[in-house]
This record gives sequence, structure tokens and C-alpha cells, in this order.
Amino acid sequence: MFKYLQLYKSTIFLKVIFVLSIAIIFFIGGITFKHITVLKNSSIWLNKSYEVNTELERLISYIKDAETGQRGYLLSKDDSYLQPYYVSKDLVKVSFDKVSRLTKNSRTQQSNLKKLLYYINKKQNYLSKSLYLIKQNKTDEIELNKNLIEGKIAMDSIRYKIEDMMIAEKNLLNGRQKAYEDTMSYTPIFIYLTLLITLFLITSAFLKMNNDLSVLKKANNVLMVSNEANNLAEIVGNFGSWQLNIENNTYIFSDNEYRLLGHLPQEFEASLESFLKFVHPEDLEFVIEKTKNMSVDNNLPPFTYRIIRKDGQIRYFRGLGRIVENASGNKTFIGTTSDVTEEIYDKKLIEDRNRELETTNKELTAFNYIASHDLQEPLRKIETFISRLVDKDFNNISETGQQYITRIQSSASRMRVLIDDLLQFSRTNKAEKVFEKTDLNSLLENARQELGQLIEDKNAVIENTDLPMLDIIPFQIQQLFVNLIGNSLKYSKENVTPLIKIKSSLIVAKDEELLPKTKDKFYKISVEDNGIGFEQEYANKIFILFNRLHNKNQFDGTGIGLAICKKIVENHKGYIFAEGHPNEGSVFTIYLPTT
Amino acid sequence: MFLNAKKNYLYLNELALMKVYLKFDYNILTKKIIQEKLSELGCKYTIAGFGEIDFLENIPDEKINDLSAKFESYGIEMVENQKSVLVQKIKDTITELVTSEEPLNVKSSVFIAEKLNHSYGYLSNLFSDVTYTSIENYIIIQKIELAKQLIINNQLSLTEIAYRLNYSSVAHLSTQFKNTTGITPSAFQRIITKRRELSSKNN
Amino acid sequence: MTTDFIYITLADDDEDDRLFFTDAFSELKINTKVNTFNDGVELMDYLNNSESVLPNILFLDLNMPRKNGVECLLEIKQNERFNDIAIAIYSTSSSEEHIEETFVNGANIYIKKPNDFNTLKKILAEVVTLNWQYHTSGLNKDNFLLRM
Repeated sequence: MFKYLQLYKSTIFLKVIFVLSIAIIFFIGGITFKHITVLKNSSIWLNKSYEVNTELERLISYIKDAETGQRGYLLSKDDSYLQPYYVSKDLVKVSFDKVSRLTKNSRTQQSNLKKLLYYINKKQNYLSKSLYLIKQNKTDEIELNKNLIEGKIAMDSIRYKIEDMMIAEKNLLNGRQKAYEDTMSYTPIFIYLTLLITLFLITSAFLKMNNDLSVLKKANNVLMVSNEANNLAEIVGNFGSWQLNIENNTYIFSDNEYRLLGHLPQEFEASLESFLKFVHPEDLEFVIEKTKNMSVDNNLPPFTYRIIRKDGQIRYFRGLGRIVENASGNKTFIGTTSDVTEEIYDKKLIEDRNRELETTNKELTAFNYIASHDLQEPLRKIETFISRLVDKDFNNISETGQQYITRIQSSASRMRVLIDDLLQFSRTNKAEKVFEKTDLNSLLENARQELGQLIEDKNAVIENTDLPMLDIIPFQIQQLFVNLIGNSLKYSKENVTPLIKIKSSLIVAKDEELLPKTKDKFYKISVEDNGIGFEQEYANKIFILFNRLHNKNQFDGTGIGLAICKKIVENHKGYIFAEGHPNEGSVFTIYLPTT
Repeated sequence: MFLNAKKNYLYLNELALMKVYLKFDYNILTKKIIQEKLSELGCKYTIAGFGEIDFLENIPDEKINDLSAKFESYGIEMVENQKSVLVQKIKDTITELVTSEEPLNVKSSVFIAEKLNHSYGYLSNLFSDVTYTSIENYIIIQKIELAKQLIINNQLSLTEIAYRLNYSSVAHLSTQFKNTTGITPSAFQRIITKRRELSSKNN
Repeated sequence: MTTDFIYITLADDDEDDRLFFTDAFSELKINTKVNTFNDGVELMDYLNNSESVLPNILFLDLNMPRKNGVECLLEIKQNERFNDIAIAIYSTSSSEEHIEETFVNGANIYIKKPNDFNTLKKILAEVVTLNWQYHTSGLNKDNFLLRM
């Protein structure tokens, strides 16, 4: 889950990087565009400067040509020398216009141009004036000379001016060159840096994506495995699952969901309607009622219903579901359907059996009780009537008759003992078992009081350590003490003071040889005597109902006392064991659970 | 003239909201009532011993009947018959014997014979004739009755009760208790406790 | 002695038991008057009649048709008029819990029906004698508990 949350976070991260990268690329593009524009302008300026210079040089050479032509004409008077002079005027004009056009953005050059124009006009004036003087043949030497000199001065001025202009152009060019160089010098670094940042961003994005991809791959793998495990689990566990996409109300059924319905996986389109078709008509209303509110309540509590499978078999299904919301907030309703037919049949079977068992048990207890309790009545009357007979008419009966009566009496009395014991045993078996927190010391004391006469008669000594408080059935535990101590007293050795030691300690089951190896705590209570004991091989037999180790002429009793002890201890979920050493004594050990 | 009053530890359970247990000295109580009633009649008398009044003058029969009627409403019975008088004396002696806090060093038969100045055999026969029980049995009954009171009062342990009633051991007391009543001392205590719980629940 | 007779009443649905009971008393040398009833309803009808002589000791069988012994016991304990009657349960059952329950409910005596006539006589004599002691010697009747 945590992983998926990370993935979810990383998509935000990637989105941020993407936006950043786009922004940076746009930025770099803008910068580059600007720089290229600057570069282009710079070369235009350079060209212009060169053109201006060339044109200026050309201008001056045209003027020079005009002057040279004029000089040639002055010397030779040949008109052909005047050819350049005439041409130059137009050429100069063309050149000048060109320069003027090229430098229209520069105010210094323009003002320079104006002055240059003035000097050019002046020069041309002098040239045309000197030419005019020559042509008129007014060879006024002085004036001509003066004209020539002034023409020379104008010529010099033009030269200077043009030189100025060329210098200015050069300065301008230099300035621009400088600005251009300034721009160009930090551009590569800037571009390089932004490129690096972009590269870094893209790389980290790539790494992140790569990482996410591997996490995704792993998650996908895990998902696939768990999906497969789920499929297997569904098959083994006899259940299927379904998903409902809340947004578009579409269903997905797992493969086993189809199998549960007796179909092949994905054999028909998953939908509520297609599923409801399988529901047993008697349960249909119930199922609809149950599922009606599931997407509102976000919960589908467990409910059981019947379906009719494709092959017509009726099965019991238990459905259950709830809404699941993933990290990105998508809601899906997921549900499981388990086939609980066997479970229900088993439960019914167990319930039936339990009921039967309970009835049998009750009948048995009732039978026991009736057998022993109600049998008492007629038996008691038989005995009483015989005692009446013996009292009143014994002497009137023949000797054999008297013998018979004695036999009847002893049989009846034996039967009474049996019935009494059986009754006592069936009472320990009766259903009502009220557990109470009781001090075992007081129960032992009660038992002692009950056996008071016997203890006194036998002159027995009973020692005990402090006994615990336990949650027990008081009457029964008291009976247990009475029976065990009574047993010890009964099987005491003649001429030896009976000594009965009762000890108690808290133990853990696994530390005791005879108990199951668990960590459960028990109170171990042992009753040890110095009586006649018994052979260890009979240790288990003595707890069996009506089982006696001794001839009934030797010791009276029916052999029920210890069977009752065992029953009582079992009622308390405890254990009882006997250990005998012939002629030395016996130890009865009881384990009672602490809770 | 001898008087016989019923000696009781009463407990009142008529109170619905709370219950108190009363323990009272019957001797003082009886003496008070007797003195009161005799004074009402204006007789001259001395109380000679427990349940024994000596009149210092002759009292007419009607007055005696009157007194008898007055005493009867308190459960005090006038005993005049000679045999009954002696039996009553034996009973009183036994009560004295049993309730005495100090253990006696003499046998009870000797004590009674000496106290009443008759042979024990005579007293024993007389007692059985009138009460349908033997002196020995009566002593046991009285002792067990006292043991019952002490158990109910809940102030003494069984060991202390056994000592107080001159039993050699708790076992001995328990045995005699069980032989006399058919139940053990602890069962007796349990039954009485439950009875009280039941009556306080019902009230 | 204030009364010449000890009045004894028994409620038991078993004819034989009633016979043993009356026979036993007739053989005992005690001045008793014994009357018997076949069940609890008959008994209570008799007791509730204000003209009836109330018994000194009432013996109740537990298992009776129409109204059983415990029902009679509870009814009798509700009525102060019957405060002086000593109640003896006379039953076949010897369940400890049962016995204690009847004592708690106010029974004074619990007798497990014996299987010997002489024992029965002995028990009844003992009961009557002890009750006589309680009656004549000023013993606390609240503490009168006897189990035979």
C-alpha cells in the first residue's frame, strides 16, 4: 500500500518536472531566438558599414576622377578628358544617395553627410566654374588659380569629411561589434547552463520513471502472484469474488465466481442481473432487498441465500462485501461469495446429532434417576414389610422359610446399596452444574465433619496443607473429598493409625508427567494414605463403575465411590490418577484447572 | 414455687429496611418481669435462686391464679408439682453446667447429684419418666443447642466453641453435632445463613 | 404438661407409608393422636380450617399429586398461625441439595423414609422426643434442625 502511495506521489513529481522542462525549453528557445536576431543584426550592420565605406571611397574616387578629367582637359584641352567629369556628377549623386540611404539611422553620419554635400557642391561649383572659364578662354590666370586653389581646399575638406565619416562608421561598427561581442560572450554559458539544468531535470525524471517502472514491475509481479494465489485460494476455499465499479456501474466476476455457478470462467458477461438469474426464486426477493442499498451504505453485511447452479443443483451461498477506495480516490465495491453448502449441511447434521445426543443424554439421566430413585420405593416397602414379618411372625415360619426370609433380606439390602450408589452417581451426572468461587479448605472441613464418626472410630489423623480458592461445584468437590478420604479410611490397615495427607500445589501441565503438554495451570491436590494400597496395574480399573478390586465379603460397597470421583473431576475438566503400593498405601492425585 | 421461662436468643426480622439481631440475658429479663409482676400484686417475697421465689406471707389462691395468668403471657409457667419441680431443678442445673464458662472438673452426674442432694440414679429415673429422655441425652441436647447459638452468633470459631463446651476436639464436637442433629456444624451454619438471606429477601 | 396428647399429622399419597406410619405410632408408648391426608390439597384444606386442631408435628411427603410437600411447606411458612408447628419432611429422596433446600425453606426435620419398621419407630420416637424438648425446655425453635 505504501509503495502505491509512493507511486502516486511520483506521478505528481513527474508532472512538475515535465512542466518545468517545457518552461525551460521555451525559455531557452526565446533566448536563442533573441541571440540569433542580434547576430543577424550585427552582420547587417557590418555589411552596411562596409558598404558605406566602399561607397564613400567610391564617392571620393568619382570626385577625384572629375578633378583628374578637368586637369587633363586643362592641360590638353581635349574634350575626351571631360568625359569622366560629366559622368562623375551623376555617379557622385548616385553614390551619395546610396550612402545617405545606408546611414539614415545614424544622426552623426547624416549631419556629416550634409556637410559633405555642401563641400561636394562647393567643389563641383569650382570645377564647373574653372571649366567655364577655360571654355570661354578667358584665361585669367589669377582667377583660374584662385579657383583651383579654392577647389583644392574644397577637395581637402571633402577628403577630411569622408575620412571623418569613415572613422565615425568604424566607431559605430566598433561599438556595435562590442555590444554584439558582449551579448555573444555570455550567451553560450547561459545556454550551456540552462541546457545542463534541463539535462539534469530530464535525467532525474528518467531515473524517477525508471525507478517507478521497476517498482511498478515488482508491484505488478506481486500483484500477479497474489492474484494467482487468490485464484487458487478461491478454488480451494470454494469462494468467488466480484467487483463493482461505482463510476460506470460495471461488474467483474472472478473465475471461480463463474465456477461456483457451474459455468466456465468468464462465460457470460458479469452483471447483477446475470447473477440474480441464478438466485433461488424463493430467496430472490431477499437477495434484492439485501443488495439494494449496498452502494449507498458502502457495506454489504454477510447474508446467506440459495442459488440454482447451471446443472440445477441447489447450493447455499454466503455473500459479503464493502467499498474500497484506492489512493487516487477511485471507489470500487468488492464482494465475496462463498459456497457454504457443506458447512450448512454439516452444521445441520451436527445440530441434529447434538439434539439427539442431548435427548439421549437426558433420557439416560432421567432413566438413571428414575431407575434408582423410583426403584427405591418398592424396595423400601419390600424391606419394611419383611421387617414387619420378621418382627411379628418370624417364629411362626418354618426353619427353611426363615432362611429364605434372611436371604431375601440380604438380597434386598444389597440391592438398596446398589441403587443408592447408582443414584449418587446419576446425581453427579445431572445437568445443573453451578460453579461458584469456593474455598476448598471449608469443603475439606465439611467433608471431615461428615466423616466425623468414621474418623473417630478409626482414630485417623488427617493432615492438610492450605488449599486454594477455586471456581467449582461446591457439593461435588465436597463429595470428592468425602469419597477419597472415605476410601482411604475404608482401606486402612488394621492396627495402624490411618494417616491421610492432603497436599496442594499450583503446577503447569507440561511439568507433570501424566498431563497433556500444555501451558495450562492446574491445582494439584493429592490424597495420600498409609493403607493397604493396591497393585499399580489396577490403577485405571478402580475408577470404572462397579469395579471392585476386593471380594465383597472382605470390604462392603459397590465400587462406585471412585467412579463418582472420576465423574466429578471430569465435570471440572480436571484429571484424577491413582498410584498404589501394596501394603504401603495409595496416592490419589487430582488436577483441577485454575480457571 | 418454681418458674420456667423459655430462654431465647431472638432475632427480629419484621423490620423491612434494616435488621438487628438481639442477644439478651434471659436471667435479668425474667428477674425484671418477675419483680415487676410481684410488685404489682404487692406481695412480700425474696428471689431465692434461679426461678425460685419464697413468699414471706400467705398468698390467697386467687392471687396465685392472678399471678399465674400474668406470668403465662410472658411464657413463664408456675410449677408446683414436686416431681416437676425436681426435674426443673435438674434442667436448671444442666443449663448452669452447660453455660458455665469455666470447665468443670467433676463429672456432670456427680455435680448434679451433689447440687440437688439426691442420688444420681434416682434423679436419672425421675428425669426419664417425666421428659422421655435421659439426663445424658438432655445434656448433649443442651450443649448442641448452645453450640448452635454460638455458631449463629459467628463470634467464635469452631475450635473455640469446642473448647468452651468442654469437647476434647473439634472433631469430637462435629461428630456429636452430626449425631445429634444429623447435619454437620457447617451445614447448619449455611442453612441458617441462607434462611436469613431468604427472609430478608422476602421482607 | 399442658397437653395430654401430642398431635401428629402426616400428608403422604402412599397408602403403605401411611400404614407404616400409623402402625409405628400405635406401637410407640407415647400419647399421640395421628391423622393422615392423601395429598397436599387435603392437608391445607384441613389446616386452613380455623376449627381444626393444629398438629405439634407435621410430616410432609415431598412427592405428592396436586400439591407437593415443598409447596405445602412454603404455604405453611407464609402463615403465622402455623408458627408453632414443627415441620418434618418425610421422603425417599436423600439428595443433599434437596435436603438443604427444604431446611432453608423452613423445615425443621428431614426424615429419609427408612427401610426397616423398627428403624422407623426409633426415628419417630426420637423426633417426637426432641420436639418435646424444644416444646418444654425453652429451646430456640429457629435452631431446630434434625436430619434422620
